[in-house]
Amino acid sequence: MGQLSKSHLIEASVWLVIAIVFFVYSFEFNQEIEIYKFGATAWPRSILFMLILVITGNLFYQRANGDAPQQGRVGISEDDISDANKSLSSFLNIGSFIILPLLFAWSLKPVGFYVATPIFTALVIVLLGEQRLRWIIGITSLIYALIIGLFMIVLNAPLPQGTVSPFYDFSAFMLRMNTQLQHLF
Amino acid sequence: MIENFLAGSAALFGDPITILIFIFGVIGGMLFGAIPGVSMLTLAAILLPFSAGLEPAQGVMLFAVIYCTGTYGGAITAILFNIPGAPENAPTAFDGYPMTKKGMAGKAVGAAVLCSAVGGTASALLMMAATEPLAKWAIRNIGPPEIFALVFFGLAVASSVGGKTIWKGWMSVMLGLLVATVGQDPVGGINRYNFGMTDLAAGIAFVPAILGFFAVSEIFIQAEKRAFGQYNAPKLNVDFPTFRELWRYKIAVVRSIFVGFFCGILPGIGATLAAFMGYGEAVRWSKDKESFGKGNLEGVISSETANNAATGAAMIPLLALGLPGGALTAIMVAVFQFHDMEPGPLIFYNSPELIWVVFAAMFYANVSILFIGLIETKTILQLLRIPFHFLAPMILMLASIGSYIGRGLVLDVMVMFLAGMIGFLLRRSGYSIPGIVLGIILGKIGEQNFAQGMQMVHYDLIVYLTRPICALLILAGFITLGAGIYKALKANKVTVKNVKSPSV
Repeated sequence: MGQLSKSHLIEASVWLVIAIVFFVYSFEFNQEIEIYKFGATAWPRSILFMLILVITGNLFYQRANGDAPQQGRVGISEDDISDANKSLSSFLNIGSFIILPLLFAWSLKPVGFYVATPIFTALVIVLLGEQRLRWIIGITSLIYALIIGLFMIVLNAPLPQGTVSPFYDFSAFMLRMNTQLQHLF
Repeated sequence: MIENFLAGSAALFGDPITILIFIFGVIGGMLFGAIPGVSMLTLAAILLPFSAGLEPAQGVMLFAVIYCTGTYGGAITAILFNIPGAPENAPTAFDGYPMTKKGMAGKAVGAAVLCSAVGGTASALLMMAATEPLAKWAIRNIGPPEIFALVFFGLAVASSVGGKTIWKGWMSVMLGLLVATVGQDPVGGINRYNFGMTDLAAGIAFVPAILGFFAVSEIFIQAEKRAFGQYNAPKLNVDFPTFRELWRYKIAVVRSIFVGFFCGILPGIGATLAAFMGYGEAVRWSKDKESFGKGNLEGVISSETANNAATGAAMIPLLALGLPGGALTAIMVAVFQFHDMEPGPLIFYNSPELIWVVFAAMFYANVSILFIGLIETKTILQLLRIPFHFLAPMILMLASIGSYIGRGLVLDVMVMFLAGMIGFLLRRSGYSIPGIVLGIILGKIGEQNFAQGMQMVHYDLIVYLTRPICALLILAGFITLGAGIYKALKANKVTVKNVKSPSV
């Protein structure tokens, strides 16, 4: 086993699962193309084949060297966190921080950008450790105003309005205000 | 050429509206490039509908100027926050961000300003002098096999930087290539890997993927450090590099101009590959390879010179052949079409005044980078004073808008945050984010050109090796690949030897 650890095997398994899922799914579009002999699957399957090769190479490397970076590599990100100060609350905090944007993205369709943005902004600030209410409200309002000012008023960018009332109504109100503002100039 | 240039300059500065549009493009490109979370592409996507109301020359010139200044602006966020404003600034972050962490942000940004201006201006001059002959040369010598070969070489270079090992570098590139296969295949239009989702039939847009992998994952990494009490705010420093310091890198600058210009000429390749190749060549020729990625000024210089040198060159396939070299030049094709025009060889004969207004504007835009860049740099560096917990929500919001605006799909915002989560996990495990992103960008181009090339040579791969440029690029790719694998195997042997005889 050399220096192979359980995490290395899990890592390799995840990659293998990805490769297998993509390979199996490639039969869904395994159609001939009249003008191209190799068809639609040749390219993705070649990539999957090469992926398997490099996964194997990676496993051999990890067996010999463990997690040590290869000497002479350039541009390796230094994102490792030392084990100190790791508590359950900090794990929960970072977990919520990572999940929150996905909830925000999911909410954009029903709730719309205009309502979801200030809530999301405030929650991000709170999760990043700010507890002073005045600062949370102040910075949230500032960011909201800047974004609305730049994208809605100056650039007229179309942003999601939501589909559910009363969120949709609020978005419609914001857009009406913008139209009136544009007419002023 | 000089007469045409003067005529273009006169047309540019003779009309107050055109001047205003030029200034808007210069400042807008720099700002959108420099605001973390959005990029010049966001601005271009927003402005595209408005360009229909402009004169053709004004519309095309606006986007050309945004391309020049936005490419520079993206370096600022790459250096200050490790968030490249555009994929072409990704290699700038390799050394730029470590310099910021060391309190040398001023030097890195100063070098980026100067080298972007030098690279861009040199490229603009070369473009003015040689667009037609270069376009003719490109038509005769560059075909799908050469473009595929360059993509292969570029991916080999990308795999050699960023990951903890060559294997992780290649796994990252493969992941990017795999993501690029989602959507319709470029030859037959058959839907691939859309998993029953209609929106995925158009593929995964690279802007949300890039924002996710770079900006969102960086925010997650910093938030994690904060949660675990290990966050160190970057140090603010506004010292610019001295002329003597920069003069030491003159060879790197000249080399990067040629590398960037060559990559820019090739249709579909653009500034992203130019930046990676410029950086890769800097590492290859440096005597101090170990210092790259740890805050070597040459890394910033090479990458920024090369990507800006590609901006002028990217106009050659666009204007002379009608082939866009990247996302922004593709938007420029749409601007031409709004005005019932098609970029291509005839444009030089039908609308020479438009061409020379664009050329002149690009030249002046690159010169403006130097002056406005140096003035604004000290102000922009103050962004480092904003506490992370106030900056992060701003970046996330801007990135969400930047992702959404391109296609008007909420799915793209989802893709961005998912890419951020995946990027966060992969970065923690030593994978290369730039490798993934380059795989995504070059995947479709590579496949399309491979397929066209194979059809061209009647499926006889050996023909690829009989075309000198193609053979040279494939050879260079294999040498880069072989050198990386050799080093990895050598590392294995050394470690196995050490494990067997620990006393050694």
